[in-house]
Amino acid sequence: MNLKLKRICGASVRNTLLALYAVFALFPIFWMILITFKTDAEMYTTTFIFHPTLHNYEEVLLRTDYFWAFLDNIIVSSLAVVVSVLAGVPAAYALARYKFRGKEDLAFTILSFKFAPEILVILPLFMIYQKLGIFDTYFGLIWVYQLITMPLIIWVVRGYFEDVNIEIEQAAQLDGYPWYSVFLKILLPLIKPGLVAAALLSFIFAWNSFTFPLLLSGFKIETVTVASLKYIASDTVHYGQMAVAATVAVIPEVVLALLIQKHLVRGLSFGAVKG
Amino acid sequence: MRLTFKLAVSVKIVLVMCFSLFIVSCGKKEQDVSGKQAATDEAVIQAQQAAGVNGFSWDMAKGAKIKVLLNQHMYAEAIIKKIADFTQKTGIEVDYAITPEENYFDKVTTSLNSRSGDPDIFMTGAYQIWEYGAANFIQDLTPFIEDSNLTGPDYDIADFYEGVLGACRWDLIPGHKTGAGPYWGLPLGFEIYSLAYNKKVFADRGLAVPKTMEELIEICEKLKEFDGRGTYPIAFRGSRNWATIHPGYMSTFANYGAQDFVIENCKLVSKVNSPESVKMTEDWVKLIKVGGSPSWSSYTWYQAGADLGAGKAAMLFDADINGIHQNWKGASKETGNIAWAVMPLPAGQQTLNSNLWTWALAMNKSSKNKLAAWLFMQYFTGKEYALWASLEMKSVDPARASVWENSEFKKMMSQQSGYLETFKATINGTRILFTPQPHFFETTTEWAATLQKIVAGQYDSVQQGMDELKEKMDEAVEYLKTE
Repeated sequence: MNLKLKRICGASVRNTLLALYAVFALFPIFWMILITFKTDAEMYTTTFIFHPTLHNYEEVLLRTDYFWAFLDNIIVSSLAVVVSVLAGVPAAYALARYKFRGKEDLAFTILSFKFAPEILVILPLFMIYQKLGIFDTYFGLIWVYQLITMPLIIWVVRGYFEDVNIEIEQAAQLDGYPWYSVFLKILLPLIKPGLVAAALLSFIFAWNSFTFPLLLSGFKIETVTVASLKYIASDTVHYGQMAVAATVAVIPEVVLALLIQKHLVRGLSFGAVKG
Repeated sequence: MRLTFKLAVSVKIVLVMCFSLFIVSCGKKEQDVSGKQAATDEAVIQAQQAAGVNGFSWDMAKGAKIKVLLNQHMYAEAIIKKIADFTQKTGIEVDYAITPEENYFDKVTTSLNSRSGDPDIFMTGAYQIWEYGAANFIQDLTPFIEDSNLTGPDYDIADFYEGVLGACRWDLIPGHKTGAGPYWGLPLGFEIYSLAYNKKVFADRGLAVPKTMEELIEICEKLKEFDGRGTYPIAFRGSRNWATIHPGYMSTFANYGAQDFVIENCKLVSKVNSPESVKMTEDWVKLIKVGGSPSWSSYTWYQAGADLGAGKAAMLFDADINGIHQNWKGASKETGNIAWAVMPLPAGQQTLNSNLWTWALAMNKSSKNKLAAWLFMQYFTGKEYALWASLEMKSVDPARASVWENSEFKKMMSQQSGYLETFKATINGTRILFTPQPHFFETTTEWAATLQKIVAGQYDSVQQGMDELKEKMDEAVEYLKTE
C-alpha cells in the first residue's frame, strides 16, 4: 500500500512538474499566437481580454508579399539542403572510409566555413556575386547556403559512416553488389536516422538564415527572416503582424520535425550509445 | 602533427584574408579613379549630352532600368505606390528592395562599398552623408540641379525649407557646418523636435503646458504616477545609441548655448565638458530621474511613442511625427488626446533651436544609370509628388514649404492640436545642430553611453562624466584635418 502510494505520489509530482514545464515551454508560442489576434491599439493596454480580430492575418497574408517570401524561403532552403545531401553524403563517405593525403585538413577546411561570422565575409561575397551575375538569384542563395548546410551534413554523416562496420560493405560486395548498390541499398538505410537529423537541422539553419539573404538578395527574392522585420514600421512596431509572420514562419519547421520525429529521435541518440 | 595542423589553419586564414583584401583593393582602385574624375564626372557629362539635344523631358532616359534601395518607412510606402506612375511617365523601369531600418544601413554600406553601381538610388539620413561623402560613395547632385536640361522648370528647389535642404549639403571638410557645399541628397521628409502632451491629462489636472525646463521639471513632479502604477510624466529615448542624443537632448543642448565640437588649431576639439553643456546635462539627468520611465535606458523611438499613445506617459519629448503616429484615428488608446507645443527652453533663452532628421534620396557614385536615377530623384522629391504623398499617404513632415501652405494639407493637420503652430514656431530655428564629421555615430553612441552612466550614478559628478566623454570624442576625431 505504501509502495503504491509512493508510486502514485511520484507519478503525480512528475506529471505536475512536466505540466508546469510544458506551460513554461509553450507559453511563448501561446503568447505569440494570442497577439496575432490583437490590434495595435490594444497591444500595450490589454493582456488576455481584448477584441479579437483577423486584421493582422489579412494584412500579412493578403496585402503584403509575405506569402512570396515564404515560397522563396521554401525554395532556397529546401534546394540548399538537397544540394548539400547530394554532394555532402558522398563526401562524408570518402572522408570516413578512404585514406588520402590531407584528408583531415580537407575535413577541417569544410568545418572552417562555419567559423567566420557571416557579416565578416559578406563584402567579398557581395562583390563576387555582382561580378558573376548571381546576386539576388535562387542559384546564388542556394550556393551561399552551402556554407551553412554542407559542413553540418558532412561532419554528422561522416560520423555515422565511421560507425558502420566495413565488413557489412565487404559482405555485400561478396554477394555481387556493385559499389553504387552497396552505397544506396546497404549504407544509406543504415545511416538514414543520422542523415535525416542532419538534413533537418541544416534546413532549420538555412530557413533561419538572415545575413546572407539580407545582403545578397532583396529586389526579386526575399526570405521570411528579412520580410518579418518589415512589420517594424516607422510609425510603430506592428507586433500583431510580426507575430503572424513568425507563426507562419515556424510552420514548415514544426511540420517537418513532426513528420520525421521517429528518425529524428533515433538519429540524435544514435551517437550516444556507441562504445 | 599539431604544429602542422596549426600551420595549415594559419596558412588558410591568411589566404582567405589576402583574397578578401585583393577583392576590396579592386574596389579601391575604382574609387581612386572615380575620385580623380570628381570634377568632370563622365556619367554627368553623358547625361548632359543626352539631354542637351532636346532639352529637359521626362522620357529622356526611356528604356533604362534602375534599382532603388528603400528603408521600411512611410516615405518608402508612398514611393512604392507611385512607381507605376513614374514608369509610365518616364519609360524607366524600377526595381526596389525595402529593408527594415535596423539592418538597412548595413545593406547600404555593403552595397556602396562594393562600388558595383547597385543600387542606383538609396534612402539616407543627413548623418550618413558625412560617412558616405567622405568615402566618396555618393554622387554630388549639384551639376544635375544646376543644369536646366537635366532638371525640369517646375522643380523649384527654393521651395524646400532651407534648414532641411541644407542638411543634405556639406563641403566634406570635418568641422564645417552643413548648409553649404555640394548637394548630396534631396529630402523626402523630415522631423523637428517638440513637446507632445496628453491634453486630457493636463486639462483634468488644470496644468499649463511648460515653457521652460524649470517648469517642465516641476510639472513632472506633479505627474508622477498620474494615472496609477506604471504611468509616468515624460517619455524620451535613452538606449545606448546615437539616436538617443539627436532628438530632444541635442536640441536642448543647443538651446543652452552648448556645442559638440569647435575648430581649434585646424583640429576638431570636443566641447561637451563646457559649463553650458554640463548645466544642460545636469538638468536633463534631473528630468530623467524625476519624470522619465523606469526603463528609460532601453527606450527607443518606438517605446517612447507607444507609451504616449497607450496613456502610460503624459508627455513625449521627441520628434513631432512620433506623436502624430499615435494620434491618427484609431492608432492608439489616446488617439485625439495628443497635442503639441514648442520644446521648453532654459530660463532667459528666447531663440528656439531644433535639430532635425531627414530621410533623403541619394545617388550611388558608381551608378551606371545616372540620368535615369536623377529623373527618379526629381520625380519623388518634386512638388506634385510631395503634395500627393502628404495628403494621401500622411507622409509627414513634408520638406517643401508649398505643401505646408496648401489649404487641404492645413485642414488635415489642423485636426492635430497645436501641430501647425508648433511647426511654424520651430521651423526657422531648425537645422542640423551637430558638427559634421565622419565619426558621428561613434562619438554620439559614446555620448549616449556616458549619459546612461551619469544617470546610473557611475560618476561623482556630471562634470566628471562629460570630461571623460570629451577625451573619448577628441581621440575619435584626432586625425581629422579641418582644412
